[in-house]
Amino acid sequence: MSSATWRTVFTYNKYAQIAARALRQSLKENERVVAEKRGVTILRYQQWENGQGGQQVFLNPPEEKGKSKPAV
Amino acid sequence: MSALRLLSSAARRAPAAFATGRRGYAEAADKLKLSLVLPHQALFTSADVVQVNIPAATGDMGILANHVASIEALRPGVVEVLDSTNTSKKWFVSSGFATVHPNNKLTINAIEAAPLEDFSAEAVRANLAEAQKVAAGNGSEEDKMEARIEADVYEALQHALGSR
Repeated sequence: MSSATWRTVFTYNKYAQIAARALRQSLKENERVVAEKRGVTILRYQQWENGQGGQQVFLNPPEEKGKSKPAV
Repeated sequence: MSALRLLSSAARRAPAAFATGRRGYAEAADKLKLSLVLPHQALFTSADVVQVNIPAATGDMGILANHVASIEALRPGVVEVLDSTNTSKKWFVSSGFATVHPNNKLTINAIEAAPLEDFSAEAVRANLAEAQKVAAGNGSEEDKMEARIEADVYEALQHALGSR
């Protein structure tokens, strides 16, 4: 099947996440709302050097404007 | 006397525990222990079942008790579980792995799975049309590959819902 060629482009993890996302988008309305929350991941990382923490960076910047608590 | 001795020797020769290792075709005395788990929910935890049908990437398989140990990658498809009362339950899994352990245990790991009743055929049709449009368009290679993976999931879903 043509789907076997994704291995040249993606890792298995990415493939599994794509398939899971496709499944979530096909559910009925109520289950879909619950399931979409499972697909959200938030990651924030910070580079440390010489005992000093650098800027905390969001991997996926959240869209909320308004108050955001400072990292440190 | 001699008659008694004849009796006892005959009894010793007859297989005392008849066929401990053999299993009749009609009854499955051993049950398969199934654990079907998602990251957020465990659908089965070491439950006794008779047969599990899985959509392996290399083809559909039916797993019975005392199956040889193996690891199978799953493609998006329907996992069907038959328990001892011969009722079958079906879930559509997004992908994952099915591992048959040597001690008659089957573990299926998937990221997402839902019973077939939870799907909306309308949504599947719309999503499939959109994914096919992206896959045939002129986006980047990654986008097209992503769309093709999604299209495969939707096509498998349509097939599962259609033949429910």
